[in-house]
Amino acid sequence: MKKRQWTGLWITLLAVVMVLSACGGKSTSTNDSSATEGTGSGSASTILTVAAATDIESFDPHNNNNTSSEAVLVNVFDYLIKNDSEQKKVAGLATSWDQVDDTTWRFKLREGVTFHNGDPFTSADVKYTLERVAKDETLKQNSYFKNIVEVKAVDDYTVDIITDGPDPLLLNRLSKMGAGILPAKYIADKGFDAFLKQPVGTGPYKFSKWTKDDRVELVKNENYFDGEPKWNEVVFRVIPEASTRVSELLAGGVDVASSIPSTDIARIEGEADKKIVKAPIQRVLQLIFRQTEGSITADPKVREAIDLAIDKQGIVDSIAGGAGIVTRTSVTPGNFGADPSLYKTSLYDQEKAKQLLQEAGYAEGEAEMTISVSAQYKEQAEVVAAMLEQAGFKINLDVLEASAFSERYSSKSFKEIFMIGIGNSLFDASNNYNRYMLEEAKGESDYNNPEVEKLLQSALVNMDPASREKEYQQVQQIFSEERPAVYLYQMEGVYGTNAKVNFAPRSDEMFYADEITPVAQ
Amino acid sequence: MGKYVLKSLLQIIPVLFIVSLIVFILVRVTGDPVALMLPETATAEDRAVLTQALGLDQPLYTQYVKFLGSAIQGDFGQSFRYNQPALELVLERLPASFELAVAAMFFAVLMAVPLGVISAVKRNTFTDLIISGISVIGKAMPNFWMGIMLILLFSVMLGVLPVSGRGGLSHLILPAFTLGVGLAAQMTRLIRSSMLEILNQDYIRTARSKGLGRMVVIVKHAFRNGLIPVVTIMSLQFTSLIGGTLITETVFSWPGLGQLLVVAVNTHDMAIVQAAVFVIAFIVVIINILTDVAYRLLDPRIKYD
Repeated sequence: MKKRQWTGLWITLLAVVMVLSACGGKSTSTNDSSATEGTGSGSASTILTVAAATDIESFDPHNNNNTSSEAVLVNVFDYLIKNDSEQKKVAGLATSWDQVDDTTWRFKLREGVTFHNGDPFTSADVKYTLERVAKDETLKQNSYFKNIVEVKAVDDYTVDIITDGPDPLLLNRLSKMGAGILPAKYIADKGFDAFLKQPVGTGPYKFSKWTKDDRVELVKNENYFDGEPKWNEVVFRVIPEASTRVSELLAGGVDVASSIPSTDIARIEGEADKKIVKAPIQRVLQLIFRQTEGSITADPKVREAIDLAIDKQGIVDSIAGGAGIVTRTSVTPGNFGADPSLYKTSLYDQEKAKQLLQEAGYAEGEAEMTISVSAQYKEQAEVVAAMLEQAGFKINLDVLEASAFSERYSSKSFKEIFMIGIGNSLFDASNNYNRYMLEEAKGESDYNNPEVEKLLQSALVNMDPASREKEYQQVQQIFSEERPAVYLYQMEGVYGTNAKVNFAPRSDEMFYADEITPVAQ
Repeated sequence: MGKYVLKSLLQIIPVLFIVSLIVFILVRVTGDPVALMLPETATAEDRAVLTQALGLDQPLYTQYVKFLGSAIQGDFGQSFRYNQPALELVLERLPASFELAVAAMFFAVLMAVPLGVISAVKRNTFTDLIISGISVIGKAMPNFWMGIMLILLFSVMLGVLPVSGRGGLSHLILPAFTLGVGLAAQMTRLIRSSMLEILNQDYIRTARSKGLGRMVVIVKHAFRNGLIPVVTIMSLQFTSLIGGTLITETVFSWPGLGQLLVVAVNTHDMAIVQAAVFVIAFIVVIINILTDVAYRLLDPRIKYD
């Protein structure tokens, strides 16, 4: 009796093991072999494999808010207007555009474009897409598009986009995530859930397969309007652990790996067939001050002392592995309204910082303040704190886990200083400065300067680019004196690639597969 | 027996209820998902709209009653990040985690059984010492570190196994081995002491004195009985494997439940955290019951009251 039960148990266990391993092997063996084939040496490379740290959120371009999602989705969905690699606006699904009046823009659409399922692309798709993201308040991209009141289909290949007021940023909005054109008819026929399972766009690559937290597989769209795409297949792999991502690159499992830690740069550069490539990205690390009455940081002398006490280039060199560009403005080149005179420069003078602190009436160790920072910038914050202490400040470092930081951020409950890396997906200075407008600054920085307020309010609706640019440059000059924030450096994206591909990273961190080219052998 | 199973099954209900309450409160007091969902430039008004749309503006108890009501019907809410039912996402990942857990268990048994038996039979010899040493190291070595070292050796330097991801059997070897080593270390020591105890029993001496060969006695008499406690430990370990593969899954980017949970915690995807913890708790409870049942079946001396 006992013996039989024992044998039964063992056989069952063995059977379970065998069935499971057989299942695992069978279901994925096909993509396994194709992935290695593409990156293996010898035969012509027709598969591009890119590794990123985070997965896409979904194939809904309207309900996504992370750069790594857009980086993949741009290959499937086209925008009306594209940003080229220098962030200049070029024709996408729209061939030309004109401003009819202050609140109306007219777009001519490209003819003869089809979606991946064969449906023709027309003005109905533009109307459906933009009105969906403009009207559904629960979509994560809604805040960028809600000022669009209506999209009128004038004829099949002409649309008028009407905004609730003058909007100098409309073209910027139409060339970013949330403006990816969706197939109206396909979604009407099949429903949105079916669309998410089998997404269809007009882009150079078609959806093939998405295994969450593992890989997104795309295949070439033979009928792409802009010529045949370069790769037969593009695979985006998700590898959250940085050391695994580096190993995958070294072992030849991926062609491009993003977010290489500074400690691994030398190791990759040491390999004969591997390269490190860098590019500045749209993110500036900065300290934002509370200027509320009674706060130490309300004193301009204290803020200046903080600025002077920090050796920004030192932080770039020691913590960021050289991957950063010092700046005195957050509106970096490539963004509308940039003031180049404040870029690639920084102030550093410990002695003067000490002197300023004394002038402000604080003896050594008396100027006590808290710097809150999200764990991802912990090391930078530690160095900043050490430099400030050297100049005579007393710093309490408050390192918060990402979601705790986000909550404090949105509830505006930081103390004197918070440290944050702020991006700019609209490539426009308004994105950097809206937080300093009276209404938004309330409770956060409590910054209040009527002159700046006037300039910012005007620039928000100014449809004349030349004078609008001047307004933002003026704001930057004022900010460099008043220091509502101290800018540490513009971050750089660090990528590792193998020698078989040419890859010049973009400042918007997109992976346009066709901008990554195989090296001729 | 039937009565015992029924009673155990009924006990699941309060356990799951308490788990759901704790998880619900924890995910709600640790951060605001709305802040993570919106861009940095979103206004206070944007946040208010989204908070309301997600029902997060209501009092905690109202939210909990609503959550419990739908959870009973198998609806754990929508994942904020993926905009998909949370339970569906969790169940999608179970096979990957299960596959890894079974393979790890397979490695563990493969290593632990011979090592444990040998070290018991050769107790207090040099061999025993070596095996004990290895199992201490195996237990002490952190999973993530061993994973990274194995990747460097077998994938980067030797190039014989894939680095990461889920694919064929070859993708399974490194993560399963990494997970299996810690387990094996524990099991080796357990098998050793269990075998030692049995080797000293009267019936073993009787068998030997009847003139049976040493190997026959060890394999046919001692080994089988020595494994009884090991089976219990195995099933208990299996439950911890299902929920506890977080780090190993992350190191090998294995798309299982552990990785889903790590990302969900980082992005504050409350629905997924709730559903995942709930499912893990459910599996743990069920396996515990099955273990009890199996143990009682194996050892007739245990009563079913």
